[in-house]
Amino acid sequence: MRREIGCNRIDHQLSRRSFVAGSAAGAAAIGGLLTPAQAEAVKSGQKRILQVFLQGGLSQFESWDPKPGTKYGGPFRAIPTSVPGIHICELMPHMAQRMHRLSIVRSLDLKTNDHRIGRLRLEKGRTAGDFPYVGAVASKYLAPENPPLPGYLHITTRGLEDNTNAFLGAQHAQLKLLGVNAPENLNRPASLNEESAQRRNEFRRLANERFAGRGGQPAFTEAFDSSFEMAQRLMKRKSLFEQEPSAKDVERYGSHPFGVRCILARELLNNGATCVKVTHHGYDTHAENFNFHLEQLDEFDKSFCMLLDDLHESGMLESTLVLIYSEFGRTPKLNQRYGRDHWGSSVSVALGGCGIVPGAVVGSTNAEGTEVAEREVSGGHLFHTYFRALGLDTMANHDIPGRPVPIGDPSASPIEELLA
Amino acid sequence: MKTPTNDNPPTPAQTVQRPAPPPLPENPIDATQTHVVAEFKHDIPLTTCRIDPTGRFVFAGAEDFHVYRWTLSGDDSSKTLFKGHQSWVRCLDFSPDGKLLFTAGYDHRIGIWNAADDAPSPIQMIDAHKGWVRWVRVSPDGKLLASCGNDNLIKLWSIPDGKIQQEFAGHDRYPYAAVFHPDGERLASFDLMGVIKDWDIETGKEVRSLEAKFMWGFDQKFRADMGGARDMRFSEDGKTLIVAGLTEVTNAFAGVHKPMVLHVDWEKFEHLHKWKDDAYKGMVWGVCEHPEGFIVASGAPQGGNKGMLWFLKPGEEKPFHSVTLSHCARGLDMTPDNRQLAVPQFDGKLCVYQMTAPHNVS
Repeated sequence: MRREIGCNRIDHQLSRRSFVAGSAAGAAAIGGLLTPAQAEAVKSGQKRILQVFLQGGLSQFESWDPKPGTKYGGPFRAIPTSVPGIHICELMPHMAQRMHRLSIVRSLDLKTNDHRIGRLRLEKGRTAGDFPYVGAVASKYLAPENPPLPGYLHITTRGLEDNTNAFLGAQHAQLKLLGVNAPENLNRPASLNEESAQRRNEFRRLANERFAGRGGQPAFTEAFDSSFEMAQRLMKRKSLFEQEPSAKDVERYGSHPFGVRCILARELLNNGATCVKVTHHGYDTHAENFNFHLEQLDEFDKSFCMLLDDLHESGMLESTLVLIYSEFGRTPKLNQRYGRDHWGSSVSVALGGCGIVPGAVVGSTNAEGTEVAEREVSGGHLFHTYFRALGLDTMANHDIPGRPVPIGDPSASPIEELLA
Repeated sequence: MKTPTNDNPPTPAQTVQRPAPPPLPENPIDATQTHVVAEFKHDIPLTTCRIDPTGRFVFAGAEDFHVYRWTLSGDDSSKTLFKGHQSWVRCLDFSPDGKLLFTAGYDHRIGIWNAADDAPSPIQMIDAHKGWVRWVRVSPDGKLLASCGNDNLIKLWSIPDGKIQQEFAGHDRYPYAAVFHPDGERLASFDLMGVIKDWDIETGKEVRSLEAKFMWGFDQKFRADMGGARDMRFSEDGKTLIVAGLTEVTNAFAGVHKPMVLHVDWEKFEHLHKWKDDAYKGMVWGVCEHPEGFIVASGAPQGGNKGMLWFLKPGEEKPFHSVTLSHCARGLDMTPDNRQLAVPQFDGKLCVYQMTAPHNVS
């Protein structure tokens, strides 16, 4: 295990002093700098998650675990970061300047080269079985009683449908947002006035009650109820999707789809979302790995770092867990198309924010990056780490009647050295 | 006196000194008889190759960041290391007399070297571009070096001092290659999106722009652009420009596309011929025009390892000859006497082919 903690302590203390998450005094101190929504988000003390999913399989060599000058290192150079001793790939220069806000795990072995299995192992923290995703668990245990937005929002243009909430209630399932477009049918039909809509909802509620009173299982109506509730919450917040991003935001984040999605993610977090997942597609580079990582990481690096800056400057980073991950990494060996193929044996992820020690590196790979050398971890270890960082006892059972289901995989444990 | 007879062979001291046999007459160029005459080995995949203007040496870049030199008439023992870059070297060129070697590195730098040194070290390393340097070419008079890089710029440098002389801005995406016209007054460049630009060397202004969008593809699923020139050269008379690359991208991330050679009429600045191989999914990595009127192209497939040499007649759909390589090609160059080809390969081999019948075949 290697652990490098190079966080600038003065900067860290100042940050804490200025932006005390959950503290009314802290919120008041920075009130003049924040939007009302940001101030409310800081004041509320709610903890939340930002997931950035780099779909297809980010190359660890071209990102968090560069090996320049080695047999499989590829053409890119490593650059120093704001944390002495930590180097990352030159394709992430903005990230390098902010490395003291995140930490890297370089020793993830997913034991699969399959897109779906790799993704599920990271989302569920289990190697198999029907368990809820990170976002659904966050929605269940971190969201306030009457959340202003659905608990688990996923901004993407593609992505497989899955049973993301498993045995948790339907209201904790992922709600997919297609890019920055508002969900379909968000507006009440013109032929239906507000009073009629309320009467219809009341009739639906009464019918559900009657069904339950006659012995009907609540699960049959729960999914419908949660859909209506989600829709109602979104209808109240539809302005989030209707407002054009400011010219300043577009200049900072970029006008490409991922940049605009990061702006929306910020707005959703500012307005009470509990888990926001943003997917950046295009890392499955079986050909032209280097040219494509140039393009993809150029988009990711700047846009994500602007989002990280905004979370930090608003004080929300203290209460927001930030995760950057892919379903696996890419092969050390290059194929004849200058591509790298699927590789789950030595994968890197980055995380930071709420409850995470910043500026650390956990684990390592061997000299040529072909296997984990120190501190091997699994998706289960990461899952425990995420929720322990957010204050949840992952060894406890889920709050569901009838059967004890541990929140985290009992055979795994948190990465203690990452917990602040 | 006893006269020696055939029954009494001479002792070693008496061996008759026979005159060396006269050199065999050179076989005429016959591309259909192309055959391997030499094979140099390296243990890391090669990235490019060039033969120096004297025809004495062949140079290759490798994925270990270094450049290697072999003597064309020699063997592997002639291998000489050129160490100085901190990333892959994608392109090589020489001063017209062959004394200076110029290298384009993905470490953002151009290297200048004495090409024939026994223990080479860079004369100069120039921080040339913000991002990869993808291509270098020396002007016909040997006074200027052109480079292009991932900052979307074409730059001109004076030789031998390596001072910046001119910057050409106008490409919206990465320029992959830039070459001087033989008249030395113009420069052609080709970018990721299949845009060819014609630049005036003296003014630094863009004169003309021609689209070759069929050498670019946008993958809708992955939202990615794929294209660019993998090689580009003018014909000796400057009338045509040939470009190597790809066409018909159907899956960029799996490398599913077809190999393409584009022939451009430079005077009219229009497409002259487009050649693609419908039966071969892959990329053309090297191309050159033979003075006898045919084109040679080298390629690598999407799957498997059967690299190809195609021999094409301008305007014809099918190659008049092809040679299967032992692995995927990464470039191509021709000796100054136009008789031999050097092909760098993904398996680390640098193979030399002769475009004539072998000498032992009448």
